[in-house]
Amino acid sequence: MRSVLLPALALLLAMIAAPALAQRQGDLAAGITDEEVAVTSDYQGARLTVFGVHWRGGRAKSDVVVVLRGPGEEEIVRRKRRVLGLWINADPVRFSDAPSFHALASTRPIGSFLSASTIANLGLDPGARARLETATPADTDPAAYRRALVRLKRAEGLYRESPYGLRLEEDGAFKAPFIIPANAPIGAYSVDVFLFRNGRLVQQKPGEIVISRIGIEKTIHTAAHKWPLLYGIATVLFALGAGYAAALAFRRR
Amino acid sequence: MSLYLPIAEMSVNALLIIMISGGIGFLSGMVGVGGGFILTPALIFMGIPPSVAVATQASQITASSFSGVIAHARRRGLDFRMGLLLSIGGIVGSTVGVWIFAVMKALGQLDLLITIFYVFFLGVIGALMLWESLLALRRRARGGPPPRRRRKRGWAHRLPLRMRFPQSGLYISVLPPLGIGMLTGVLAAIMGVGGGFIAVPAMIYLLRMPTGVVVGTSLLSIIVITALVTVLQSAQTQTVDLVLAALLIVGGVIGAQFGARFGARLKAEEMRIILGVIVFATALRLLWDLVAQPSELYVLSR
Repeated sequence: MRSVLLPALALLLAMIAAPALAQRQGDLAAGITDEEVAVTSDYQGARLTVFGVHWRGGRAKSDVVVVLRGPGEEEIVRRKRRVLGLWINADPVRFSDAPSFHALASTRPIGSFLSASTIANLGLDPGARARLETATPADTDPAAYRRALVRLKRAEGLYRESPYGLRLEEDGAFKAPFIIPANAPIGAYSVDVFLFRNGRLVQQKPGEIVISRIGIEKTIHTAAHKWPLLYGIATVLFALGAGYAAALAFRRR
Repeated sequence: MSLYLPIAEMSVNALLIIMISGGIGFLSGMVGVGGGFILTPALIFMGIPPSVAVATQASQITASSFSGVIAHARRRGLDFRMGLLLSIGGIVGSTVGVWIFAVMKALGQLDLLITIFYVFFLGVIGALMLWESLLALRRRARGGPPPRRRRKRGWAHRLPLRMRFPQSGLYISVLPPLGIGMLTGVLAAIMGVGGGFIAVPAMIYLLRMPTGVVVGTSLLSIIVITALVTVLQSAQTQTVDLVLAALLIVGGVIGAQFGARFGARLKAEEMRIILGVIVFATALRLLWDLVAQPSELYVLSR
């Protein structure tokens, strides 16, 4: 159903946006299939698509990049060290404002048409966004910690990149599918669409999606954090009740 | 059937968790131990954060112990006075244990602490189980009589602050029961286990309680300790997942009931060998993770 709707939506958008685009060169219109994602008890992550149209600026080479980014958070990266034959987590380094989730889709690998400083300035590189808050241990390289942060988040499926995940159609329409896994944090995500022409930023369109708990998930999570003592007592009462019920049900007659 | 866990913040296969907790419940029902010390590592292997696995497991043990203690209470296999002393020790121990848990979590060393505790206790218990059941099997093969247990007055009988325990027919110091309770409390908080595997042998060999009241009494103190651990973990670390607890309770309680029936028809030594092998293998697996050169040198913790 959604896949049928998408091209139609893009077309509709194109028709609405077309007059404006015709006047202002290098314009861009974009939308998202779901602006609100509900986390319910059967939540397994979300699939959503960022779609839009761009006005093709003559013979210049156009590139579109879409970045989906979760709220920034503190991350502590530790390096394992061997102590008495055991590998223990040592040498902690703290990063602040590391994107909790970062997914990027582009027409081609961003490194092939953007300089490293542009990539960093536009926040397209999650590792560069994270701020190092503490000094790294004397014998270590801060860059190694930063690389480790990106590698570990990628392994958890929280940093994703699809360098060819976005295709520009002949008529200027584009769409980029995204997967947000279930372990991605709850919160407000920014959605940025960038239009580049010959490697230069022409326009940027910001947007937002919100992932929020609803129903029983919200009730339980709120209870556990707002009234932790009552929540614990309720869990114990539930356990005692279940144990008693089992003893009754299985009593030998 | 996938289910989203609100506290662990991940999606799990609900049927798989019920089946695992049911299987381990079945095994523990057959042998008569809690099973927490296999279920918690199993949950961690499945990718549940260790802090959530340990804290949530405590509530499952409350449920299965409560369903077990009712049967013991019916046939008066309970020493309430002893249970009270164990519980008082357990309250102190679990409070200390939850505090250590929170400190180690803040230091980012919680996984290490849990793993070391598991390697040590599982290793020792697995080895003892295997050793004892092998000896029993050999004795049976020879057809000799079981060795007589020496009934000597131990050091528990010589310490001060002695008290009478009519149900157990004992007159011993209150210090050893308090100490046993404290140790089980610490283990319950850090490992997410009931601690019956420490308390039961200690009550038999140290306190020399009659075996008829040992299991019921230890279950009684385990209920108090794990209930307290659940409340303290909720209040202090917010890592108790009610949805996960429900899955574990359903699987564990049903599995244990069937296991107890099935177990009556099997030979105790053979079951203890099966369990001993599982316990020992789990310890080796965890030890390997600690000593083997890791493929990834860095870890994230939050």
